[in-house]
Amino acid sequence: MPYHLFKCSECIPEREKHAVIKGYGETLTDALPLGYLNTIPGSISERGCAYCGAKHVIGTPMKDVIHLSHGPVGCTYDTWQTKRYISDNDNFQLKYTFATDMKEQHIVFGAEKLLKKNIKEAFKAFPEIKRMTIYQTCASALIGDDINAIAEEMMEEMPDIDIFVCNSPGFGGPSQSGGHHKINIAWVNQKVGTFEPEITSDYVINYVGEYNIQGDQEVMQDFFKRMGIQVLSTFTGNGSYDGLRAMHKAHLNVLECARSAEYICNELRVRYGIPRLDIDGFGFEPLSASLRKVAMFFGIEDRADAIIKEETQRWKPELDWYKERLKGKKVCLWPGGSKLWHWANVIHEEMGVEVVSVYTKFGHQGDMEKGISRCEEGALAIDDPNELEGIEAMETLKPDIIFTGKRPGEVAKKIRVPYLNAHAYHNGPWKGFEGWVRFARDVYNGIFSPIHELSLLDISKDEIPTDKGFLTQHLLSDVNLSEEVKNSTVLREYTGDYDALKRIKERKYPEFPRKSGLEGELSAV
Amino acid sequence: MYCDVKVKERTGIINPIFTCQPCGVQFASIGIKDCIGIVHGGQGCVMFVRLLFSQHFKESFELASSSLHEDGAIFGALNRIEEGVDVLLMRYPKAKVIPIISTCSTEVIGDDIDGVVRKLNAGLLKEKYAGREVHLIPIHSPSFVGSMVTGYDLAVKEFVTYFAKKGTPTEKINLITGWVNPGDVTELKHLLSVMGVEANVLFETEAFDSPLMPAGNHVSHGDTTIEDLMDTANAKATFALNIYEGGKAAEYLEDEFNVPAIYGPTPIGIRNTDTFLKKLERITGKPIPESLVRERGIALDAITDVTHMFLADKKVAIYGNPDLVISLAEFCLDMEMKPVLLLLGDDNSKYKSDPRIIEFQEKLDYKMEIIMNADLWELEDRIKNGGLEIDLIMGHSKGRYIAVGYNIPMVRVGFPVYDRAGMYRHPIVGYRGAMLLAEQIANTWFADMEYKHNREPVLNVW
Repeated sequence: MPYHLFKCSECIPEREKHAVIKGYGETLTDALPLGYLNTIPGSISERGCAYCGAKHVIGTPMKDVIHLSHGPVGCTYDTWQTKRYISDNDNFQLKYTFATDMKEQHIVFGAEKLLKKNIKEAFKAFPEIKRMTIYQTCASALIGDDINAIAEEMMEEMPDIDIFVCNSPGFGGPSQSGGHHKINIAWVNQKVGTFEPEITSDYVINYVGEYNIQGDQEVMQDFFKRMGIQVLSTFTGNGSYDGLRAMHKAHLNVLECARSAEYICNELRVRYGIPRLDIDGFGFEPLSASLRKVAMFFGIEDRADAIIKEETQRWKPELDWYKERLKGKKVCLWPGGSKLWHWANVIHEEMGVEVVSVYTKFGHQGDMEKGISRCEEGALAIDDPNELEGIEAMETLKPDIIFTGKRPGEVAKKIRVPYLNAHAYHNGPWKGFEGWVRFARDVYNGIFSPIHELSLLDISKDEIPTDKGFLTQHLLSDVNLSEEVKNSTVLREYTGDYDALKRIKERKYPEFPRKSGLEGELSAV
Repeated sequence: MYCDVKVKERTGIINPIFTCQPCGVQFASIGIKDCIGIVHGGQGCVMFVRLLFSQHFKESFELASSSLHEDGAIFGALNRIEEGVDVLLMRYPKAKVIPIISTCSTEVIGDDIDGVVRKLNAGLLKEKYAGREVHLIPIHSPSFVGSMVTGYDLAVKEFVTYFAKKGTPTEKINLITGWVNPGDVTELKHLLSVMGVEANVLFETEAFDSPLMPAGNHVSHGDTTIEDLMDTANAKATFALNIYEGGKAAEYLEDEFNVPAIYGPTPIGIRNTDTFLKKLERITGKPIPESLVRERGIALDAITDVTHMFLADKKVAIYGNPDLVISLAEFCLDMEMKPVLLLLGDDNSKYKSDPRIIEFQEKLDYKMEIIMNADLWELEDRIKNGGLEIDLIMGHSKGRYIAVGYNIPMVRVGFPVYDRAGMYRHPIVGYRGAMLLAEQIANTWFADMEYKHNREPVLNVW
């Protein structure tokens, strides 16, 4: 069996089945770790809670909404200003967070009155905002407040407002993944079908499982708009509340993060007959294939092909500049969930790096199945890793860089492994063609940092040359590069702007004439 | 009366100033050597607090969770603590101190964390870990009571209560620093060292600013030892520099072991540092040396350069931990500035009778508002809708969008600060801290003058 038991976990043997090494010539059935099981207490796992999965991951990226957590103040505070999901309405959802501030007397006597007052106060403070999501927390779940009833009552009292209720207390499930599921289902049950949108195109999609980290959504929306496709809603990054109430009117659900949002796609397929198409905005090939797939669904392949050609011509020489320099570098791909399979193969193909390990904090076995099938043979796959296992893995595998979260990144730094933020990115957006080059550039700058080079030296023991005033990334990365590559007139470093979204915001989109009567035809598919 | 002290009128919180109690307990526990707390609750109560610490310190700290899941919430989850303690002890051979930190969920379901500690002491620790020094300390910190500040105060008291043990009286003092940065601890230790005073420092967090070493060192941790904590019972006095962040422990040591409690001052600003040193001199009998006269002089020299020319009459809003906010306001007054709005982020009823606040009420000659149980909307709403004009904001990073949104210069101070580099290294206490802080205020103001072309030529010569 290819199971891998970490030395540090020998005393908790149940961990053995949570890590596997992808053996040479072995099939996937030999190498699938257990996943999405209860966490071992005291193991210093990296998992979060179901409240954060619902509120922090999926709920809060909705941009024109008052996000109110019904509970003590901590849940709200702790999940505020720790992510990079921006929005085109001046980041309202990033800047403002709301807590009912439940205190001891509310625990004893109930907090429903408190909730009502909070709702009124919040709308009064922000009269231009008419939508609200209320998140249950551990405390409000355990005292049994009927949040749904309060929301109904308030909506009757204040007819111009609309409230969505998400009952996903922190203890609901082994990780944040439980919360993803709950908020998906709650949204489709409560809100989809309650708003009639204006349809402006013959081709209408919901873009699902996309959270607009550093502008990813805006990058992808740009492609769709250039193809004349109407993005009716985005679930949920940069998405508007009413747009998402109208999800039932789309012709197609285009699904990005299948880990966190496949549930709503599946429900929309069952309830409204809207097909689901899984896509991938990371990497030239997967993105090109994705744009083509979406276009093919609508019969507008020529529009996709034009974009792919233009973007590839513009950015491919820059991606390849980095690929030449990153070839063979070892990567630990340690994200939260879906990025392990979004990235596992494509970073190898397009950036030339070797994935020596994948892990997932909250992924299920399905994510591992996809991730392991796409990563290199010999790679170590870990489910629900903990602090000591992560360190042991890094010390054994000696990666050149690690893609993980902010705090584990600090651990990596200390054992002198450069890190990139896999959840929130370094200099994103990383989706789109230009974004993928930005990712490659971040990887390059992480690995070939002269400061990093210095951190590998021990001044008391090592021979340190005294004739070097400085080094640069180029001096470090180009040592073993062939003259042909070094002097290539085709390849070039990234030439985009610090803010990649600027150009997108200024773009004028082509108008495509509409065909009449097509809408009905398509929605009947 | 010019100083208006009131409670926020709204019920709810829009943009909180504080997080909840368990965070404060966790912050205290990472200050102790060989201590890894187990937070009894959902995983988010730990994961996010660890993230918060790493946002501020750019370091990782070890804290564990009992990982409360649905079954535990229904049937009780004490078995998760039992398993958690065992797993932690097996895998972290250095761990000696394990606070069991409750949260709102496990307090509501009524899990008996004291009982489970007794059970573990009598069972697991005796049988499996005989001969190993392990201290399990139940700490009740429901999130629906108090705030991270009271959580910290409570935790310091619980640790001291657990460990303090009467022995031979010493010449040492207990120094309870309150919720400060590594740079502050270094500065406080410097003051003690030049005074020739030895101390049990609660908590030794200098090492939170940990180096990147050739051999690797994966986590940062505090250095206060079990012996330091035990020895607190034998000190000459306890200095609780921040009344609300360590005052309870000082009170306990006085009541239980007759160790005199000295409350405050938070040594922010020249005057507060003077008071601290004079109190120290009185208690220890050690004279204030010439070197501190000089240090004080250097600070005064620097502060004088910026005070009446630039800082005078500047209106300031300050928010954050109560002792910090109050003493910053006092320092601002010495620098001729006008703190017009102080925001204290929880509902502690003691603020009203705080002698420093009473002094504001009695002596101020311009209008100052102090809001208790405040949130950051109290500040923003006044600026956006109430016509409040201020020249400077002082507070932690969670309020950064007020500064960004309304183009108001802001000095980052307190916890957490994550949008400026290395602030945890810069002291704000002592003479040196006063000087650095005054200069930071001035430089922030100067940069703002330049960005806004607001009389910036005056900076050519001063």
